[in-house]
Amino acid sequence: MQSKSSKNSAESPKEMTEYYKHLSLFWTDIIHLMSSKPQALTSIGPMRSFAANSKKIAVELIEINENLVGFNQYITEYYKQLSNVWGIAQKKVNLKSPKIPQDVEQIEAMKRIWIDIFDNDFTELFDSKKFGENYGNLVSKELELTKHWNNITNVILQSVNLPSKEEIDEVYNEIHSLKKRVSKLELELKKEKRKNAK
Amino acid sequence: MQNESRIDPKIIEEILKFSKNVIDAPKLVAAPDEINLEVTPHEVVQKIDKTRLLHYKPIIETKHKTPLLISYALINRFHILDIHPQKSWVRNLLEQGFEVYMLDWGTPTSMDKYLDFDDYVNGYLDSSVEYIKNQSSTEQISLQGYCTGATIATAYTALHPENVKNYIATAPVIDGWKDTTVISNLAKHMDADKMVETIGNMPPEFMYYCFSVLKPFEQGIEKYVKFFKNIDDKKYVDNFLRVEKWLGDTPPIPGELFKQWIKDIYQENLLIQNKMHVGDELIDLKKIDMPMFTQVAVGDHLVSPECSMPLHYAVGSKDKTLKIYPTGHVGMIASSLSQKKVLPEMGTWLAERS
Repeated sequence: MQSKSSKNSAESPKEMTEYYKHLSLFWTDIIHLMSSKPQALTSIGPMRSFAANSKKIAVELIEINENLVGFNQYITEYYKQLSNVWGIAQKKVNLKSPKIPQDVEQIEAMKRIWIDIFDNDFTELFDSKKFGENYGNLVSKELELTKHWNNITNVILQSVNLPSKEEIDEVYNEIHSLKKRVSKLELELKKEKRKNAK
Repeated sequence: MQNESRIDPKIIEEILKFSKNVIDAPKLVAAPDEINLEVTPHEVVQKIDKTRLLHYKPIIETKHKTPLLISYALINRFHILDIHPQKSWVRNLLEQGFEVYMLDWGTPTSMDKYLDFDDYVNGYLDSSVEYIKNQSSTEQISLQGYCTGATIATAYTALHPENVKNYIATAPVIDGWKDTTVISNLAKHMDADKMVETIGNMPPEFMYYCFSVLKPFEQGIEKYVKFFKNIDDKKYVDNFLRVEKWLGDTPPIPGELFKQWIKDIYQENLLIQNKMHVGDELIDLKKIDMPMFTQVAVGDHLVSPECSMPLHYAVGSKDKTLKIYPTGHVGMIASSLSQKKVLPEMGTWLAERS
C-alpha cells in the first residue's frame, strides 16, 4: 500500500477519488474487523451492523462525487449550447429589426420576429445530434446519481429490517406475472364460452 | 429637443390593459382544478387493473352496426378527445350515429413497472375488444388508435385481424427513424434501460421537459400572453384552460412498456421492418388487411408525417385511404378543422364500411 499512499498527491481527480475510496475502505474494514472480535462479548445486537453499513454508505458517497464531476461537465455543456444559440438568435433579431419600436404595431411585429427566430433556432438545436447526445449523457449521469441515492436508502431500509427496492421489485414482478397468467386464462375462458354459446 | 423619442400613448394603454387583465383574471376565470374534462356522458363498463373501458351514451339512435373502440395515446389522458362540447371528437362521432367506446389506460403506479406491450396489446386492448363483441353481439369492431395509442392498436390489428373490421390510424407512431421531431431526437439518445432500472416508470416530469422544448417561445411565453390579453373572451379562455389542464396531466408510462417503446420504435425501428415482437409473437404489418384509414397532420411536431405515413404503404389492405390535413397533432383531433373536415371525412368513410 506504500505506493498508493505515496500517490496522495495524485495527478488526476480520478486517481484522487480512487485514493480516498481506498482510504475509506481500509479504515472501515479495519475498524469492522477489529470491532468484530470484542463485540462477541460486548455487542447487544443490531448495532453490530453499523460498521458494515457505514462502509457501504461511504463507498456510495465517494462514487456520487465521481458522478458529480461527469454531471457537471454535461450540464455545463447543456447551458453552453443554450446560451450560444440565444446569442446567435438575438443577433439575427437585431439585424431584422434594428430600430426601437415606436408604436403598438411595431412592438407586435418585433415580438413576432423575435419568437419566430428564437423558436426556429432553438428547435434546430434540440433537433441536432450534439444536443441529443449531450442531453442523453446528462440524463444518464442524473440517473447514476439517483442510483447511488437508492443504494444508500436501501442500506438504511435494511438496517431497520425493511425490504430493499430490489426485494420490493421482486414482489412486483411476481405479482405482475401472476396477474398476467390469470388474466390470460380468464380471457381465454371468456372466448371459449362465447364460442360454445354459438 | 427634436431628437426626443415619443412614446405612443397606445403602448401605455396596452400595458395598463394587460396589467388589469392579469389582476382581474382570477375573478373572471375558473381555476383549472375546477374544470371537468369528461364532458360527454358515459359509463365505465369494464375495469381491469387501472384501465377503464368507457361506453358513451348515444345522442341519437345508433345508425351503424359496428361499434368503434378508440385506443388513446399513452401520453396525457384521453380527455383531449372529449375536451369541449363543441370540439369533442367523441361527441361528433355520436352525432354521426356511431356507438363509441374509449379505452382509458389510467394512471400506472410503481407497482405497474413490469407492464409491457404484451399486457397492453394482448391484455387490456384484447379484453376490451372481447367485451364489446359480447355486448354488441358482433364478431368484429372498428378500431381507432391515436398517436402512441395507434402503435398499440396497430400491433393489435396485426395480431388479431379477425377482430377488426375497419382500422383508423390517427397520427400513428410507426417509423422512428423517419421521425423528424425533437421528441424522436431525445428518444434516440436515451438510455432507456438505465432509466427503468433506476426509477421504474417513465416519470411525467420527463414528458413535461419534452413538451417544453417544442416551440419553447411560442408555447412557453406567447401562449400565456395571448391568454391574458383575451381574458374577456369566455370561449377562448374556456378552451385554453381545458387544453392546459389536459397538457398538465400526463401519467407515468410503465417501465417495461417505455423501454420497449424507445428501443423498438425509436432506436432500432423494428415495427416498420416487421421485426418487432409483442409477447412471443412477431408483428407483421402485412397481416393488416382490412379497410384502413390513416390520418396525418402536416404541422405535427410530436409525430411527424414521415413517421406515420409508412404505415399506409406497409399494410396488406387493398382498401386503404391516406388523408393529410393542414394542422398539428392536437389540431387534428380537437379543433374547428377536426369538426368541419377531419371527422366528417372519417365518419363518411367509416359509415360506408360499418
